[in-house]
Amino acid sequence: MSDPDRTTIVILGAGKGGTALLELFSRLPEVEIVGIADREASAPGLQYADRLSIPTTQDLLTLIRHPGINLIVNVTGDPDLDHLIAAQKHPETEALGGAASKVLWDLVQHESQMQAQLFQAEKLAGMGTFASGIAHDINNPLYILLAFAENIREETDLATIHEQAKSIIDAGKRIQSICQNITQYARAAKARDATLVEVNTTLDEALKIAQFATILQDLSIVRNYEEHLEVLANPDELFQVFVNLMTNAIHAMEGKGTLSIASWRENGLGKISIADTGHGISKEHLQKIFDPFFTTKPEGEGTGLGLHNARAIVKKYQGELSVVSEVGKGTTFIIELPNSATQ
Amino acid sequence: MSESKSAGMFSGRESQGLVLVVDDEPDVRKVVRMTLEKSGYEVLEAEDGEKAIEEVKKGENSMLLSLIITDIRMPNMNGIDVINYYRKEWPSVPLIVLTGFPDMDMATSMLKHGIVDYLVKPVEAEKLRASVAKAMEQREVRGF
Ligand SMILES: Nc1ncnc2c1ncn2[C@@H]1O[C@H](COP(=O)(O)OP(=O)(O)OP(=O)(O)O)[C@@H](O)[C@H]1O
Repeated sequence: MSDPDRTTIVILGAGKGGTALLELFSRLPEVEIVGIADREASAPGLQYADRLSIPTTQDLLTLIRHPGINLIVNVTGDPDLDHLIAAQKHPETEALGGAASKVLWDLVQHESQMQAQLFQAEKLAGMGTFASGIAHDINNPLYILLAFAENIREETDLATIHEQAKSIIDAGKRIQSICQNITQYARAAKARDATLVEVNTTLDEALKIAQFATILQDLSIVRNYEEHLEVLANPDELFQVFVNLMTNAIHAMEGKGTLSIASWRENGLGKISIADTGHGISKEHLQKIFDPFFTTKPEGEGTGLGLHNARAIVKKYQGELSVVSEVGKGTTFIIELPNSATQ
Repeated sequence: MSESKSAGMFSGRESQGLVLVVDDEPDVRKVVRMTLEKSGYEVLEAEDGEKAIEEVKKGENSMLLSLIITDIRMPNMNGIDVINYYRKEWPSVPLIVLTGFPDMDMATSMLKHGIVDYLVKPVEAEKLRASVAKAMEQREVRGF
C-alpha cells in the first residue's frame, strides 16, 4: 500500500465522468484504484468497476475516510461534497474537486475521442492491407494470363500454345477461387443472430474437426471445462473460431506436444483458452498475426485470414481475442465473451 | 527446355545481358523469361533470395549478371529488407521490383533506395522491356 511509486486513488461519482476516469486510470500501472462510490446503485461506473474487480460502494463517506489514500477525485459535480471531503479525509490525503476535477474530466474525454479516432484510422489501415493483399493475389495470375494470351496471338509453335493455354486456364481458376474466398469473407463479417451457445460441446465438436489437421502421433489433449458454460454468440461462427485456433495450435506443434483446452467464468464473462506447446510466435510476428493475409505458411497453404476472421467474429459479439506466446515454449489464445444478454 | 543453368553464349546472337528473375511463382518467371528472351537477354530464375544466390554462384554467372528483377514478397522480410539483401550481395547490380502490390508509398521509398523501377503486375511486355533497357543504360553510364 505504501509503495512510493504507486498512487492510490478513490473516485467519487460513477456517472459519465467517473466511468471515463475509471477507464483511464485502470490502464495506468502506476495507479491503484482503491474504490469507486456513487449514491446510485445503477450508476454505469459501478457496473464497469465490478467487471474490473474494483471495489464499489454507495457509501461515499467510507471511501473518503479510507486510510492510506493519496488522492480523492470528486466527479459527482456536487460542490457540497468538496466541503465534506475537506472535513473528513485523512490529513495526508489530497483531494481534487470542483474546477480541477472538471478540467481532468475534459482532458479524459478529449483523450477518449482521440483514441476513437486512432481506432478508426487503424481499421482503415487494416482495410488497406486487406485490399492490397487481394490486389497482390489477383495481380499475379492476371499477369500470367495476359502475358501468355498476348504471346499466343503470335505464337506458331503448337506445343507452346497448348502449354500456355493451360497456364491461362489455371490462372483464371485461381482468380475465381480468390473471388469466392472474398465473398465468403464478406459474408462472415455480417452480423448473425447471437444465441446462448454451449461452450463445451462446441469445443469438443471443433476438436474432432481440428484433429484432421494432423496424424495424431505424440499429441496429448488436456481438457479443463467449467460445467454448463454458455456465451452469447453465433454457434456456427464460434465453432469456426475454435476450429481455427485449434488447427493453428496443432500445426505449431508439428505432431508433438500438449493441446490444453479450458473454459471458465470470470467477471461475468465466459472465457476459453486454447494453449499449445508449439514453436511459439516471435515478438515481431505477434503484432502482425491478426492482420489479414499475414501467414508464415508456404504459398498456397495458408490464407493468413484465419486469425483475422476469428478476431472479427469475437469482437462482433463484444468479446476479445488475445494471445500470449513465448518462442520455443508455446502459445495461448484466450477468448472472452459475454455470457448473458444483460451485459 | 534447359533453363537456369549456367549462362554461356546465347545461341548465335550476341547476348544483351544476363538477367536474374526472382519470384516464387514459376509461371511468373516463365512470362518474364519469355518476354526478355525475345529481346535477346539471357535469363536465370530463382524462387527466393537464397536460391538466387545459389544460382548466381554457378559458373561465370556472377561475372555476367547485369540485372535483377525481383518480387518483394519473401518470407520474414519486408520490401526494404529484400532490396538490402541483394545490395549486400551484389552492390553494383541494378534492381527492378516487379510485384503485385500497387502501393505508392512502397514504390516511392524503394525508388529512394535506388531501384531502377517499381513495376506492378500485370505489366505490359513493352513496359518491362523499356525498364530493363533503362537499367542497362544506367549500368553503362556508371561504367560497369
Ligand atoms: N498457435 C500458434 N502457434 C504459433 N504460431 C501461430 C499460432 N497460431 C497462429 N500462428 C501464426 O500466425 C499466422 C497467421 O495465422 P492465421 O490463422 O491467420 O493464418 P494461417 O494459419 O497462416 O492461414 P489459414 O488460416 O488459411 O490456415 C500463422 O501463419 C502462424 O505463423
